[in-house]
Amino acid sequence: MTENATNEKKNGAGVWGRLTSALGAVGMTPLGVGLLILLAILPLVPPFSQEHMIRWLIMGAFLAAQAIAFDFTAGYINVVNFGFAAILGLGAYTSGILTNTNPSLAIQPGLSPWIGMLAGALVAGIVGFGLGVLTLRLRGIFAAVMAWFVGIGLMGLTRNMVDLTRGPLGMAPRKLFLGTTSNLPYFYVIFGMMVLIYVVLRLVTKSHYGLAFKAIGQNLDAARASGINPTKYRVLNFTLSCVFAGLLGGFYAHYFGSLTPQTLMHTSKTVEVLALAYIGGRGSMWGGMLVAFPFVFGIEYLRSSLTDLPGLHMVLYGVLMIVVMIFYPNGLSGFYYWLKEKIQSKSA
Amino acid sequence: MKESTSFTRFIMNKLTRNLPATVVIALSLVLMVVLGAVGGMSQVLNTFVTGGMWALLAVGLALVFGVMNVPHFAHGESFMIGAYVAYWVFNPIYQTLGEHPNAFLEVVAPFIGFLAAAVVGFVVGVLLERIIFAPLRRRTKSGWVMNAFLLTVGVSFVLTNGFTLAIGPNFRGIPRYWNIDTLTILGANVSADRIVAFFLAMITIFALWLFLRQTRTGRAIRAVSQDETGAELVGINLDFVYVLTFGLATATAALAGASLLFMFQAYPTVGGKPLYFAWYVVMLAGLGNVAGAILGGFIVALLQTATQQFFGPSWEDVIPVAVMILVLIAVPSGIFGSEVKGVQEQ
Repeated sequence: MTENATNEKKNGAGVWGRLTSALGAVGMTPLGVGLLILLAILPLVPPFSQEHMIRWLIMGAFLAAQAIAFDFTAGYINVVNFGFAAILGLGAYTSGILTNTNPSLAIQPGLSPWIGMLAGALVAGIVGFGLGVLTLRLRGIFAAVMAWFVGIGLMGLTRNMVDLTRGPLGMAPRKLFLGTTSNLPYFYVIFGMMVLIYVVLRLVTKSHYGLAFKAIGQNLDAARASGINPTKYRVLNFTLSCVFAGLLGGFYAHYFGSLTPQTLMHTSKTVEVLALAYIGGRGSMWGGMLVAFPFVFGIEYLRSSLTDLPGLHMVLYGVLMIVVMIFYPNGLSGFYYWLKEKIQSKSA
Repeated sequence: MKESTSFTRFIMNKLTRNLPATVVIALSLVLMVVLGAVGGMSQVLNTFVTGGMWALLAVGLALVFGVMNVPHFAHGESFMIGAYVAYWVFNPIYQTLGEHPNAFLEVVAPFIGFLAAAVVGFVVGVLLERIIFAPLRRRTKSGWVMNAFLLTVGVSFVLTNGFTLAIGPNFRGIPRYWNIDTLTILGANVSADRIVAFFLAMITIFALWLFLRQTRTGRAIRAVSQDETGAELVGINLDFVYVLTFGLATATAALAGASLLFMFQAYPTVGGKPLYFAWYVVMLAGLGNVAGAILGGFIVALLQTATQQFFGPSWEDVIPVAVMILVLIAVPSGIFGSEVKGVQEQ
């Protein structure tokens, strides 16, 4: 917020200044908007317009959006939601079941995938609300472990409800766009979701809610002493983060068209998102988003050139996360702010 | 003798003063009787064998949390390393035994595997402490518990995927350690492997208990778990205590992995289930409560065996965790309580 104020002061008057402050109101900077526009036209430009490249971009946007929603909890109220992947999987399965037309499952509601995605978000939000209430009294490690246990339970439940989910065999929800085999429409859907999630969560964190979140995250007792009601804010935070996780899960279901508990809801999926969010910088939300794209491209490139090395990208993820956590806990966004400050103090 | 009376007194004290613990233990006893009546003696023995192993794993977890304040998420990977080492040591010996039978070596070979696993586990633990936690300790000012937790998450991630990368996801298992007929105890058949696994767990826990109680070094470890600054003031070398604790915890987990190789096999993600069952135990007993973890191990194993008996094996992932969520809601600091520094840290 102070940063916004200095921005306004610096940019002063003029069209540019007004544009910057208008963007600032929705949590964007000119640089950020430029990058997003670049990303939006990227799949139309030749080297990136190949189908497999668009698929990578979709993966990148999917992970980026997850990192934003995850960081909203981890970076602000300082509770690591270890069941994040399970909540996302819950959204995916809800949407998959509601859109199902396959007679081998117990019910065939056959709804539109768009409605399914919204319902997935709703169900994930309700469970997120419950998780927020459950972790309310718990701090730090206890809250993380509670979320982890809930995640394990959800995954086990999914595996056991064979009538609805076909258990470990996995189910195959129908695709979002039936008429086309192109990945391009999917890219714009996930791109839109990513921008939506970022803008909504940024608006929330820029309001007094964001301040309350940060206060609770830094010191719960002090926040309570200064009149902040932690119950309301923590539950709200969890619910919002999980709504978006469920929405993304719905997208996953109708893009990949294949859901198994192991590939979707396992704790290691949460760890992937956690690693991105932390490498990008805690409490920035844009850090994880920015890191996701080069990551996916680097990893997919490695994977396609060294086919017989399964798990290499995971090792790189893990090592990078460890190094960042020990030696540079502020992550990429911390580096950016440090650099900005350096440059400003020099020019001043 | 003195030890055993103080242990009994400790348990009695907890029973009379602690309602949640009394309730949980009473319910467990009832469940045990029901399980014995429905499932027979074999399920009761199953509970004890699994319980011994969860207790061994949980004691390591509790020790690491109590002394170093590290909520250890890579404990399952220590288990995995132990399983691999035991396989790599035991299998060649087993192959040679096929060509040159040797009755003595046949009996001793598994123990060589166990010992190797424990030694390698200790070394891995020491290295992890030095490479991962020592630098973090020098740099972290606040939020140590959470940072350490996330760091072990990263370690677990790197180790599982590193093993997949290096040697592939294949299962490496053995049918059994000892080629002896199953023994019959009170009408239930139990393999020699299970009996050895149980006694190995009990002996290791007892040895650890004696070490912590009776030796100078053990007392130093307990002193650090009670008051770090005070321990440093009286001249205890903190770094040495951390290294030793982490090495011991990793070694016990590796030993558990080695002695259960006949049940679990060795593959990169084998540590998942032992990890979360060990975590159920420490959350039930109270984070960092070493003595509570022993009893907790058996309670969680009982819950697990009863779930298998009454609902089928696939519900093992749902019902115990649901019960643990209830426990966490009711008594977040566990039924035996955890009075460890840093637990309430944000």
